[in-house]
Amino acid sequence: MQSDASTTPPSSPAHKPGHSFATAQGNSDQGKSDLGGPMPSKMGEKISATEVAITVRGFSSWYGSFHALKNLDLDIDARHVTALIGPSGCGKSTFLRWMNRMNDTIPGARAEGSIQLDGMDLLAKSVDVVDLRRHVGMVFQKPNPFPKSIFDNVAFGPRLHKTYSRAELDELVEQSLRQASIWNEVKDRLHSSALGLSGGQQQRLCIARAIAVGPEVLLMDEPCSALDPKSTLAIEELIESLADRFTIVIVTHNMHQAARVSDKTAFFFEGKLIESGATESIFTTPKNKQTEDYVTGRFG
Amino acid sequence: MPVNLQSRVIDLRRNLLALGALVEQRVGAVIEVIRDGDIDLARKVRSGDAEIDQMQIDLETECMRLLALGSPVASDLRLILTAMRVSNELERIADMCKGISKRVIRLVESGNYRYPPLLVQMAEAANVMLRDVLVAFSNEDMDLCREIRRADSYIDDLNREVVAWTREWIAQDVEKTGAAIELLAISQRIERLADIVTAIAEDTVFLVEGRLIRHGVE
Repeated sequence: MQSDASTTPPSSPAHKPGHSFATAQGNSDQGKSDLGGPMPSKMGEKISATEVAITVRGFSSWYGSFHALKNLDLDIDARHVTALIGPSGCGKSTFLRWMNRMNDTIPGARAEGSIQLDGMDLLAKSVDVVDLRRHVGMVFQKPNPFPKSIFDNVAFGPRLHKTYSRAELDELVEQSLRQASIWNEVKDRLHSSALGLSGGQQQRLCIARAIAVGPEVLLMDEPCSALDPKSTLAIEELIESLADRFTIVIVTHNMHQAARVSDKTAFFFEGKLIESGATESIFTTPKNKQTEDYVTGRFG
Repeated sequence: MPVNLQSRVIDLRRNLLALGALVEQRVGAVIEVIRDGDIDLARKVRSGDAEIDQMQIDLETECMRLLALGSPVASDLRLILTAMRVSNELERIADMCKGISKRVIRLVESGNYRYPPLLVQMAEAANVMLRDVLVAFSNEDMDLCREIRRADSYIDDLNREVVAWTREWIAQDVEKTGAAIELLAISQRIERLADIVTAIAEDTVFLVEGRLIRHGVE
């Protein structure tokens, strides 16, 4: 997001002043937000100053009496790719879901501690989750396009937040599809059903849909697990190019994918963050024995 | 994880140590060759080199296979990289044994075989270093690795004394210069052998700690 104006259309909602996560303040507070400053046009500058997009401190979560995540501390770098790895049930997906409050609707799910996006507590009651998800987008394991046209899939999010002219919307959709590296494949059939696309194309369409609302953060939960190797490669290349503009957090079971796409890797085990650091270190000289055993496939 | 990487990494380690044991045996034989001028044994050392070459090639091929098919990381990756280097280094030690044997044969056959007792001492010290480095590798013993690196300078000192002894020999009998040069070549090979053992100690540090300490860099 550092060169906002040139990389996304000026009409992108992320660049509208006066945005706030909090519903109470709505869109009328003239550039002030809970983040304590003009938002989000200054977002890029603020992030590049600290280089940390998301700060997690003393974070714990529960499903009823099950203690799913235990006292996590983690800094997620802005405009880098962070991979979350660990065996099934280690809490990595739960953690990802908390970052855009997808656990809110699960009965008995609760959390303590803090997850801050550029100083704003994502867990605060006052946060409007619909608004939050404009800042923190999510891409799921299985591509889940709406049963609508390709164009309408991408335009869906932006239309929720603002009224666009036809030309503005055309430009936003094209930009988003271009950023998701799928424009050339779909430009001649924008108004045919998204369900006619291949799995890999559908997943890139879902990424285009996620970035159309101008988020700072993209969460990806096993985005390639339902795709063939060629589509996987396309998504991995896309992730690399998106990391120039977005903070990406990816959950993956494929260790080699984590090694290929991420700058930093965090290893979770039984709800604890065991080790995090440069991906290169985690895969050559991990400090922790459990990390070593996991990345070498000795357990998990 | 594809290809049963874990069991194959264990085999790789075992095969590397087997190569090490065989090379250690060669160095032991070379000590006898030097001490006794035993040219029959020297011929056996020379002819046995092909076996070691083949083992090295097999090990390196297996390393390549595991890199390509097993996508190793962390300690598995370090072991495979180390095995590639160490197998090559062991093979070079065996080459040194072959070269020493060849020269002893020539010297004995020409009736010019003379050597200072220091030369045997040097070969024995190098053999102790080799035995130690194999133990250090097998037990991942970092203290022993450090000792081996220090022992290398002892060998260098002995080599200098052998050079001085040889110079004296030439001064006494210029006609023996050709034989003296062969003797220096033997001493130099032992010294080189100890250098290679030191490199294996450094590789072992990489295997265990992931640090590259080669070229005098800590």
